Amino acid sequence: MIDPAFIQGLIKILFVVVVITAAYIISTRNLLSLVSVYALQSLSLVLIALALYSIEGAPVLLAIAAITFASKVLIIPYFIATIQEKVRIRRDIEFHFLSPTTSLIISMGLMLVIYIALSKILAGTHARESFLFFGAVLGISLMLMGMMVTFSRKRAITKVLGYLTMENGVLLFGLFVTELPFIIEFLIIIDLVIVVLLTTILTVGIDSTLEDYHKRLHRFHLWEEEERP
Amino acid sequence: MNGFLLYLVLNTLVVLAIAPLFVSLIKKVKARTQGRSGPSVFQTYYNLAKLLKKEVIYSPNSSRIMRVAPIVNMAALLVAALFVPLVFVPEPLGGIGNIILFLYLLALAKFFMALAGLDAGSSFGGMGSSREMSISAIIEPTTIIVFAALVFVFKSLNIFDMFATSAAAGTLATPVLILLGISLFIILIVETSRLPVDNPETHLELTMIHEGMILEQSGRNLALMELSAAVKLTLLMAILINLIVPFGLMTTFTLAGLLIAALLFVVKGSILAGIIGLFESSTAKMRFFRLPSLFAMAFFFSTLIIIIEVFA
Amino acid sequence: MGAEFFLLVLLLLLAGIAVPLATSGQDRRISRTAAHVCTIAASAVLAAIALFVLVTGQEITWTAYQPFGFFSIAFVIDRLAAFFLLIIAAVSLCVAIYSGEYVEHLEGGSRRNLLCGCVNLFILSMVLVVASANTLSFLFFWELMAASSFFLVMYEYTLPETRKAGIFYFVMTQLSTLFVLLGVILLYAGTGSFAFSLIRSPVSPLIPVAFLCLFLGFSIKAGIIPFHKWLPYAHPASPSPISALMSGVMLKIAVYGLVRFLLDVFTPELWWGLLILAAGTASAVLGIIYALKEHDVKAMLAYSSIENIGIIFIGIGLSVVLTAVNLPVLAQISLLGALFHALNHALFKSLLFLTSGSVVHATHTRDIEHMGGLSHVMPYTSALFFVGAVAIAALPPLNGFASEILIFISFFSSVSAVDPLLKVVMFIALSLFALTSALSAACFVKAFGSIFLAMPRSEESAKAREVPFLMLLGPAILAGACIILGLFALQLFTLAGFAVPEPDMLLIGVLLLVMAGFTYVVLHFTASREVRVSETWGCGTLSQQPSTEYTGHGFSEPIDIIFSSIYCTRLKNERMFFDEKNCHFREGVAEIRLLKVFEEYLYLPVSRASLRVATAVSRFQNGCLDTYLLYVFFAVIAVIVYLGWFA
Repeated sequence: MIDPAFIQGLIKILFVVVVITAAYIISTRNLLSLVSVYALQSLSLVLIALALYSIEGAPVLLAIAAITFASKVLIIPYFIATIQEKVRIRRDIEFHFLSPTTSLIISMGLMLVIYIALSKILAGTHARESFLFFGAVLGISLMLMGMMVTFSRKRAITKVLGYLTMENGVLLFGLFVTELPFIIEFLIIIDLVIVVLLTTILTVGIDSTLEDYHKRLHRFHLWEEEERP
Repeated sequence: MNGFLLYLVLNTLVVLAIAPLFVSLIKKVKARTQGRSGPSVFQTYYNLAKLLKKEVIYSPNSSRIMRVAPIVNMAALLVAALFVPLVFVPEPLGGIGNIILFLYLLALAKFFMALAGLDAGSSFGGMGSSREMSISAIIEPTTIIVFAALVFVFKSLNIFDMFATSAAAGTLATPVLILLGISLFIILIVETSRLPVDNPETHLELTMIHEGMILEQSGRNLALMELSAAVKLTLLMAILINLIVPFGLMTTFTLAGLLIAALLFVVKGSILAGIIGLFESSTAKMRFFRLPSLFAMAFFFSTLIIIIEVFA
Repeated sequence: MGAEFFLLVLLLLLAGIAVPLATSGQDRRISRTAAHVCTIAASAVLAAIALFVLVTGQEITWTAYQPFGFFSIAFVIDRLAAFFLLIIAAVSLCVAIYSGEYVEHLEGGSRRNLLCGCVNLFILSMVLVVASANTLSFLFFWELMAASSFFLVMYEYTLPETRKAGIFYFVMTQLSTLFVLLGVILLYAGTGSFAFSLIRSPVSPLIPVAFLCLFLGFSIKAGIIPFHKWLPYAHPASPSPISALMSGVMLKIAVYGLVRFLLDVFTPELWWGLLILAAGTASAVLGIIYALKEHDVKAMLAYSSIENIGIIFIGIGLSVVLTAVNLPVLAQISLLGALFHALNHALFKSLLFLTSGSVVHATHTRDIEHMGGLSHVMPYTSALFFVGAVAIAALPPLNGFASEILIFISFFSSVSAVDPLLKVVMFIALSLFALTSALSAACFVKAFGSIFLAMPRSEESAKAREVPFLMLLGPAILAGACIILGLFALQLFTLAGFAVPEPDMLLIGVLLLVMAGFTYVVLHFTASREVRVSETWGCGTLSQQPSTEYTGHGFSEPIDIIFSSIYCTRLKNERMFFDEKNCHFREGVAEIRLLKVFEEYLYLPVSRASLRVATAVSRFQNGCLDTYLLYVFFAVIAVIVYLGWFA
């Protein structure tokens, strides 16, 4: 119904959005925007899934889009944003191994290397010729960029977001290369929920609630003043 | 040849007439977002007239460079203005319209301005020149990559051909062109020294790059510098506008077409000026040594566009 | 028929060598002037020959000495050789005019005669290298060129840094000759002849190795990174006209060698082009980045030469790549751009060296931090340096831009036609190329600003005087050539018979004048004409001091910090206090050390290793007669054993 060339153009724009958000996550020092950028990335993945649905028509894509929207655009970012709000993390300025500019250059190089490697592996098959090949390349590079975030940043919250980006990369790869069975997507979502739960536990302690945590911090004079006019 | 002469006169006059308007519009938009009513949209014209009436003061340390630089600056920008058709696209003559030549004419203007900044022997001018040359050096790869992408998409090195193709295609651009538009917008911000790269409103030594270099200019020289900055802004805006939304651009000359094209250009330019003003109001000036990270991001973005266009 | 004129050139140069050497006992100005007149005459005739060959396309051949079959000293001047002869002629002419006056101000008495004689020998050897018809004579005159330039560099041998620079230069140039020799021998082994003839299949595996040896030899001579270290030592140590000759002409002879072998002998493959492109890009970027850090004006110009040689190699590499992927038209444009840039660089670099020589002569210092304000006391020199600075910053409508735009155009046009991976390589090379040309503009704003603008930073700078007329005439001719070559670039190419997409610079120049005139006229009628001279605003200081000016170091500081990973600056800041709370300062050490990356990690380890090997080997020669008799004894036994058992 809609012109496929238009959809392909749209998917190209969404690719760029996905990669730019990943580059932003790698190189930023400002943690407040990190979660919204991650939500934007997941939103573009949802839109890609919807666009692929309009080309291919497989209903599993629609279900994947719905679940991804619910979990990665709404629930998980809300969770992490609440934690950030309560615990007052603002900036993450230390980088381990890689400075921001170097990591951007390395991720560009990575994309090229993956492109060459994948085209050699898949040479001559049907998958190589189609438009979806580039999506697979991007999926793997997104996964590696997420891994770069995980090892090059020092704060735990950024490491968690790097892990979440890796999962996004796996999802992207799956959308383009395989017939993704719905059950795997479901398992991935459970995986992520566990990660976020663990983050909350690590923050407040396994035996307490968020309010008890506040009281503990007050007692040890560790709580920053949060009064605002 | 006749057509070209007509185009020469027409384009130069239109650029000189419209340029101060866009500068005032941006200031007006920024003032409104700050809750003030701001200066009138014709204020830049009044400023230029006032400056022309004032005397020129030269430092005893300055050399011929100081006397010559404003005129060379303006001349280089006016010749560059010939490369960017605002309302009417003629046939290219000689090498006019070559996109690399356009970029290097802007660099010629910048070279003279930087030398004039060093000429009077004050530290402000030196700081402005040094920062301006460093920034223009690191934004250069991004600019060249974006221009290479434009050449790749429009299959021609000449800006006239690019505009003609775009006007003939008529409708809104392909996705890659929208992305290139974003890159061109970033380059516009950097080349015209707007926030977050530099603050064109203040005249403090710590925030100024462009303003630092022209601190020692006065009277008619300062008027020339301000006008040339406005012309540069208009030219870069015109490239952006005429490639993305070329409605109304004429390729054959008619009087009615001229009026419509000029009017449409002013409207489109005002909208873009409003966007620039809003963008500037939503961000703060970045610390100077954070700028390379911003430029690395811009370079990454431009290279990505090309990679996606080429590979996918 | 032109062979007689060529012979005339050689005879004039030989006379120029003989006359000062014959009178080298007495310190007479007339012998030096005679030598310079010979040089000027020879250059003029050479330029005429070169233009004749370029315009008409006829070749000039002459066989000088052919005792037996494969050993011949013969000369052929075709269009490529004529082009490089034109470069030699133009620069030598202006340098000879300049040094007619400059040499009189040097110290050294009658040693100056040797200098003039050696300069003529140097020029003669370069002419013969370019005109050689086979690889054997090429090699012979290459070595002559290397030896004569060593004597020129060592002119002020009493200073220790000159000695160090001279020895370093000598080692590097012999290394380059060694690689060229190896390449020529491998070529002979692979093809069986010393002639410059195209290698047809079957291609023996020695041919790529021969190319690599030749490429290494020419890169060392041309100053490609990482073999560039001799340039920033040799150029400041030698007198200014010699630096101009070396930087303007000798480096181009290496380029000539590379182009001659690539065009006439080898059929290049793709990876050769990529190698040349990579070497060129690295040299261009690193050359200008190191130039920005220098405060010795001649070392800065030396690094800038490295950058421009990198640009020429980028053009050549791109041309080879494009030939290998079957785009001959674009390959030709790229090669033309590279060769045109060689000519332009020779012109504006010698202009810059000669004018900076005048500045150094007037202020007795090479450090730009001690200069300043020279545009008031040396107006003509500053105008000439300004032309050179605008040309080297590649600004329209001068000649630096005219050649760089050809290389840009070939990059832009070829991007749409090659396969994707090659596209990415070209984009990277293109963006680095753009970076270097922007950085070179920054470098020369810094140089011109620190040397000529604002107030003098030292006593000598305030007391400087304009140089004599001859020292202005030479650079003035070069500046005029820069302007003419820039404005008439398109017309010159059409005259030579090439169709290139060069924009019409004459039109741009005329338009610039028209617009400047238009602005001036409008201002004349609308603006106030009052002018006043008053102190620069100093934010409240009583009077302006030279110490408040922006220094050269300060100017390049933002670039230092942005590219700090390349400069590898080491900062040391140690403080010692009297008490534990660190309040009473006792003493401290602060140091900023620029790591000379190539010197410390490449040159010094290699030289130490070779010294160790040499020391070990030298134990064989211990001067004791008995050991030598022992060697003879062993040798005789070995021969007997060999004849008995193995023969």
